[in-house]
Amino acid sequence: MRHVFKFKIGIMMLATTVAVAAIIAGCSTAPLRTEASTSGIRAAEEVGAAEIPQASLHLQLAKEELELAKGLAAKGEKKKAASMLLRAEADAELAVALSRGDAEKSEAQSAVERVRQLRQDNP
Amino acid sequence: MKTKQFLIIITFIAFLAGCATVAPNELVNARLAYQRASEGPAAQLVPAELHKAKEALVLAEQSFLKDSDSYKTKDLAYVAQRKSEQAVALGAMAADKESKDKANADFQKKQAAIVKQGKQDLIDSEKRAADAQAQAELDKQAALKAVKDKADADFQKQQAEIVKQGKQDLIDSEKRTAEAKAELDKQAAAQAELDKQQAEITKQGKQDLIDSEKRTAEAKAELAKIAAVKEEERGLVVTLSGSVLFRSAQSTLLPSAQVKLDQVAKALPAVRARNLIVEGHTDSRGSESYNQGLSQRRADAVRDYLVQRGYPADRIQTRGMSEGSPIADNASPEGRANNRRVEIVIERMQPSNP
Repeated sequence: MRHVFKFKIGIMMLATTVAVAAIIAGCSTAPLRTEASTSGIRAAEEVGAAEIPQASLHLQLAKEELELAKGLAAKGEKKKAASMLLRAEADAELAVALSRGDAEKSEAQSAVERVRQLRQDNP
Repeated sequence: MKTKQFLIIITFIAFLAGCATVAPNELVNARLAYQRASEGPAAQLVPAELHKAKEALVLAEQSFLKDSDSYKTKDLAYVAQRKSEQAVALGAMAADKESKDKANADFQKKQAAIVKQGKQDLIDSEKRAADAQAQAELDKQAALKAVKDKADADFQKQQAEIVKQGKQDLIDSEKRTAEAKAELDKQAAAQAELDKQQAEITKQGKQDLIDSEKRTAEAKAELAKIAAVKEEERGLVVTLSGSVLFRSAQSTLLPSAQVKLDQVAKALPAVRARNLIVEGHTDSRGSESYNQGLSQRRADAVRDYLVQRGYPADRIQTRGMSEGSPIADNASPEGRANNRRVEIVIERMQPSNP
């Protein structure tokens, strides 16, 4: 019974060791995950962020931050790079929101104007 | 309420942190951004987004507590600021969407009202048009009836006038007929009278002719006792010898001639209604002009005597015939004696028209 317990303890320690080693190895060699940032930037471009001043600013920031993150990753500063990617994602998402908000605002203004015109034409 | 509590907590944490160290700009901005977002429409319209911003700010604050000036704290604060700004943007977008939806709903409502009003207007218009048409039809019928009534009245009036005129015409016609009949009767009577008169005249003319012829015959017989009498185309010719009537180369009647002429004058009343032509004739001795004058004067002397004896002067003509119409040879004395003569031509009586 004691042998069995010792065996299990040994296996668990081994597994933990292997896991820690794998994590350490993964951290040191895993590539920078830029998919979220890249797709966010692409989404912002697709909704026309480049044409809207405020959205355009954040789109530009997102791109710069993505490049900074890549630069940090290239220097081996993966944590800083990952953290910088969070900035890029946040700016890209904000650029999308601002673009959609601008479109929505234009549509709302058009709708209000259309109602106003209709009421004016048909008092 | 929860947001206020959260802000108070955050402020308290910031105060504690501030006691230890100064918050980085990113975190200060994140706090302000979140405060602005939580005070705007995002709290009502996009609470989920505001919640995300809140979680992001909490992470930044926790990081700040652990490591106040680390890049991680700054990045998390930056992300928290962007999340708050994103919540503001999405809140505004939601407000715009609400505004747009409301405007579209108003538009559709207004459109529906316009369509409804249009339909009602159309119904009203159709009703008015139908009413107007019905009224027009009534007016038309009334106008037609008025025209018909007027036409009937005119017709009856015209008929009455025609009847009246017809009666008047009939009366006039009857009157004219009566007048014409009276005139015809009068004319017939006049014609009858005329016919009667003409018959009388014809009868009288015939009788006169018979009487005249009778008297002519008697006168002829009487004259035949006195002188030579002969019937010619131009009438009854009584020839008196020149030697009995005149001396040679004279035109004064001899007494013996007056006796002869008295006898002739006595016979002439029987033919008083006839014209006489007294012609003087000479023999061939003497000049033509002389004989012409002598024959004319002798004819005139005989006419004057007959007029003197009562024969109408206007019924006696005279002609000097000179030596142009001999009845015997002028070479012998007997012949010349016969050629010196006076002829009294009693013209034929023209019979009256029947």
